[in-house]
Amino acid sequence: MTEAISSLSSTAISETHGDGKRRGFWSLACQRFRDDGVGMASLIIVAAFFVVVLLSMSGMAASGWNKEVAIHDAPPDLWGLLKPAAPTAMKSLAQRVEEETKNAAQAQSKEALPPLTVTDPLAETLQALNASEETSTAKKEKRASLPFGGDRWGRDVLSKTIKGTQTSVIVGLSAALLATFLGTLLGALAGYYGGRTDDALNWFYSVFSAIPYLLLILAVAAVLQQRGVTTVILILGLTGWAGVFRLIRAEYIKHRGRDYVQAAHAFGVPDRRILFFHILPNVSHVVLVNISILAVGFIKAEVILSFLGFGVKVDEVSWGSMLNDAQSELILGRWWELVAAGGAMALLVTAFSLLTDAMRDALDPKIQRTS
Amino acid sequence: MTAPASSPLFSVEHLSVAFRRRRQPSFAAVRDVSFTIDENETVALVGESGSGKSVTALAMMGLLPKYNVEMASVSRIVYRERDLLRCSDDERRRLRGADMAMIFQEPMTSLNPVFTIGYQIAEVLRLHKGMSAAAAQARCIELLDEAGLPEPRRALARYPSQLSGGQQQRAMIAMALACTPRLLIADEPTTALDVTVQKQIVELLKTLKARHRMSILFISHDLALVGELADRIIVMRHGEIREAGDTQQIFSAPRDRYTQALLQCRPRLDETPSRLPTIDDFMAASQESVEKKARALSPLTPLPPRERGTLSPLLEVDHLKKSFFKREGLWRRYEIPAVKGVSFTLRRGETLGVVGESGCGKTTLGLTLLRLHHATSGAVRFDGQDVLTLSEKAFMPYRRRMQIVFQNPYASLNPRFTVGQSLLEPILLHRMASGRQAATALAFDWLYRVGLDREAFDKYPHEFSGGQRQRIALARALTVEPELLICDEPVSALDVSVQAQILNLLKDLQEQLGVSYLFISHDLAVVRYLCDTVMVMRDGEVIETGDVESLYRNPQDAYTRQLLAAVPHSGIRGQASEA
Amino acid sequence: MTAYIIRRLLQMIPTMLGVVLLLFVLFNWVGGDPAYILAGKNTGEAQIANIRHQLGIDRPAYVQIGIFIKQIVTADFGASWSTNEPVSDILKTRLGPSLTVMVPLMVLGTLLAIALSLIVARFRGSLTDRMVMVACTVGMSISILVYIIVFQYVFAYRLGWFPVQGWGDSLWKNLTTFAALPILIGLCVGLAPDLRLFRSFMLDEIDQDYVRTARAKGLSEARILWIHVLRNASIPIVTYVMAALPGLLVGAFLIERFFSIPGIGREVLLAVERSDFPVIKAITVYVAAATMLANLAADLIYKAVDPRVELK
Repeated sequence: MTEAISSLSSTAISETHGDGKRRGFWSLACQRFRDDGVGMASLIIVAAFFVVVLLSMSGMAASGWNKEVAIHDAPPDLWGLLKPAAPTAMKSLAQRVEEETKNAAQAQSKEALPPLTVTDPLAETLQALNASEETSTAKKEKRASLPFGGDRWGRDVLSKTIKGTQTSVIVGLSAALLATFLGTLLGALAGYYGGRTDDALNWFYSVFSAIPYLLLILAVAAVLQQRGVTTVILILGLTGWAGVFRLIRAEYIKHRGRDYVQAAHAFGVPDRRILFFHILPNVSHVVLVNISILAVGFIKAEVILSFLGFGVKVDEVSWGSMLNDAQSELILGRWWELVAAGGAMALLVTAFSLLTDAMRDALDPKIQRTS
Repeated sequence: MTAPASSPLFSVEHLSVAFRRRRQPSFAAVRDVSFTIDENETVALVGESGSGKSVTALAMMGLLPKYNVEMASVSRIVYRERDLLRCSDDERRRLRGADMAMIFQEPMTSLNPVFTIGYQIAEVLRLHKGMSAAAAQARCIELLDEAGLPEPRRALARYPSQLSGGQQQRAMIAMALACTPRLLIADEPTTALDVTVQKQIVELLKTLKARHRMSILFISHDLALVGELADRIIVMRHGEIREAGDTQQIFSAPRDRYTQALLQCRPRLDETPSRLPTIDDFMAASQESVEKKARALSPLTPLPPRERGTLSPLLEVDHLKKSFFKREGLWRRYEIPAVKGVSFTLRRGETLGVVGESGCGKTTLGLTLLRLHHATSGAVRFDGQDVLTLSEKAFMPYRRRMQIVFQNPYASLNPRFTVGQSLLEPILLHRMASGRQAATALAFDWLYRVGLDREAFDKYPHEFSGGQRQRIALARALTVEPELLICDEPVSALDVSVQAQILNLLKDLQEQLGVSYLFISHDLAVVRYLCDTVMVMRDGEVIETGDVESLYRNPQDAYTRQLLAAVPHSGIRGQASEA
Repeated sequence: MTAYIIRRLLQMIPTMLGVVLLLFVLFNWVGGDPAYILAGKNTGEAQIANIRHQLGIDRPAYVQIGIFIKQIVTADFGASWSTNEPVSDILKTRLGPSLTVMVPLMVLGTLLAIALSLIVARFRGSLTDRMVMVACTVGMSISILVYIIVFQYVFAYRLGWFPVQGWGDSLWKNLTTFAALPILIGLCVGLAPDLRLFRSFMLDEIDQDYVRTARAKGLSEARILWIHVLRNASIPIVTYVMAALPGLLVGAFLIERFFSIPGIGREVLLAVERSDFPVIKAITVYVAAATMLANLAADLIYKAVDPRVELK
């Protein structure tokens, strides 16, 4: 049956070429991708996130994320779709006082709140600065509600979410590129040359893979006293190459025995050219899919690191630090920061994962979707 | 309805099978195929890849996937007055394994790797016959013994990976025969096996058929093989039946042109024609194909006529040895010799055939000669120079003078390179032309010589058929004008009708270029057609070497005789001089 | 077999040395002078020198590595920098709670994922299959933090079904009351990725030739799936589960932190926050050793479940 199917797909290929167009691997893959509805939809969502990141980086969006634009804990109105009725706000205020007294006792016994997450002195001076900058005019114009609500200092949750998106996407992609570059380079050398080179690189790999990933990240985070986006990228990128290494090494071992590589050897084509010009294009789809998988993993990891206080600096914002704020806010009934940060992340990661799946399907015609 | 006495066991009526595809019209794999199988009859379905023969068999078994298959409403598959296509899934399932059984091309992957042979056979018995575990085991031993598996009692506890290919296929046969089915469908059961094992399996099937009075549907691409056991032959092409008739009639008086072509374009053991007729000669003798042939034949660099035996030796191999090493125990490594001290000489412009079954070391030999494997010991003198001792840099000129063509044309071209890129690389690397323009012109020239159009230059390998890809691989090897070309099973992966074209091309190119071939093959008939001298290998050693004519006519070694005897030729021999 | 095990154990030595070297470089050079971290910001030079001498970091690097190795071999990492508790005591007392949560979580999670993946694989390509797969992708995309925060809030704070946090001395009480919600959260978080992965293992097997043979034998679809396919798919599943085993020792950092479970994971987080290097080093080294042993065990089990494998 496999024979029947494969002969079928080969005829399918030769028939699509009846129109006389020459089609390489990538244009065929693109064509398959375009036929995938879910893949295209997720591509659009991911692209939208990238546009938001660009706007945010250029300062055209969310530049004033740390300004107090609304009253404390301003409820969300979703541009008027939700009705933040005044009594509700009053009730929640009353509730808040009540709950806060109730929780005070709990909080003492509770170690769950890490010391770092409580208001940082630096942040407060920063806010004081911002507040003084805007002086009394801002105070007058403070809004009672915001589209996505406000946090406990009256900052716009929507702006924070956008800034958080910027952090996540930049960290996820940069770290993924770094890790994939390292893993691909080392994996290619180890797999292609074998022998001593392979032994040495494999030893290096086994050292890194002997330590569970999250533990390794935490150990590095413990040592690096500095916090910030660059540090997070370096931590994730320098520790995350091992998986790519294993995959690419296996691919190179597979390909170095293939006839087309043997043929290149028979002509005396130099090793470097075989490594990067002959074999690399044949494993490039593995590399590409891996960047995507790693980016998803790193976005998740960054959120956890920042939540724990080992990630971004206190004057930067990340979905992780937002979730940290949201944790204490939820107990007071303020759910919107949790929903905003958690939802934005879930949307991006879902779209990114579905995009990865679609990419994998498009790049590997042998795995045929059965539908 | 009362069935007449002569009612066939199985009848396939107007079977049409199509596969649904995404955003494309359905692909018609089988079109309006009708035939019958009588009791105790062997019917052969013969055709090349894509002929629909396997799909027909799977449809009979009810093993086609449901989600993308369309069958015509007039199609019927009748067994014992029941139309199987209109039976429930459950009814069909009860017939499978009991009334009709099937064996497949790849016994290795067709057996479940993690269960013992005994378990897998007993499973059938317990399911269909409701046997107890003990009874099933006793029956298993009988079955394995009947299938000719040595030490059947011990074989029960073996896993498929612990058996050889031939033994695996015997186990498959034992499993298929467990419930003494009325029909056995054998889908290319010997294609993955060596020729001597193939003969044994065919003999086994014949014996079992006679003993159990069952019917066999034998599917194969090999007309000569089918002639050994079939009562009737059905020739298929592109999903349609081209011709059906008694075996005798198909071989002695084939009516269809395609059948004639299939019979003629295979090289034979008993005679050496100067050229093989190709499928085009029979099918569409159009103007275009004649032109193509003429152009491939026109000598580009006329050579002086050569005299056999007076030519200087090009390649002298002296006690060449190649071993692989495997680790065992704590520190020990033990040696697995693949080539054990092989010596031979190849003269300029001649072709040496290296013949042997799988695992005899013939491919390793070829790769070691080119230093694609490191030789363990021995010497290889090319044009008087020992090339094994040279540094990689000093060996570089010899990389131009010695080239190789591989077996699988699907794997030997870089899938991400256009044909042009594949051809230009060696040309530029070895400075066969100065400048890119001249190199491109040269590449066009080579495409032309192997019978391909200019348009091929910008295409990717997957846009070509197997035969065309092998032409491209050949062109790529020849761009550097080698003096020695190692051909490692260059036609084994190709359809019969394409094989003839490539073999003719190889012969033409040798005439024109004077290149020497080291032709590695398991196919004695092909070697006979192409080679001047033959070397028979077994277990890494040379068994016998000699001139083609005398070796085939009068083989000295018992193993050579065994090999020659195993080649199926029954049907063809009778009508050698006809057509 | 014995020769294989011995060789593998010997091969662990260079890897272990590599881990030691990595940690040494990380904690002694990349992280700056440990003496300053230990002593705090405002300490006199003399005191720093004293600490340096006590830690042995005024001696050459090879001596220091020697000390480190000796610490590993004798299992004596000295005392924690922040609590002065011996590190070995910390490890001993923290292991139990981690395992109490992780062992049931892993067993239940694996069984659940296998059963569900077989059911999903049976309906592959159908709408159900696609919906389940999309649901899995969405489920995997929600941060584990969100799961924990929401579950803790809803089931503990609001509904009061479980204690918000805490830990006792009785194993049974821990399992039934304190670990219940953490295990539930762990199952919810882990199910989606496991299900997706196991389903892909099943689908890899479903396309194999031997499945066609099984159909040709007339076996029922259920038998094909539960006997033939599952037996083959168990090979990658075992490999995957074995690879996850060392994670048992570390526990789930976040769950332990949120629920104040005194396990190794929470200890690591505390140590990282307090720059308590001896604790981090000790945990890392032992978990690395456990990982290597688990890998060896995985290969041996692999050999047991797959007759094709030859140990080299």
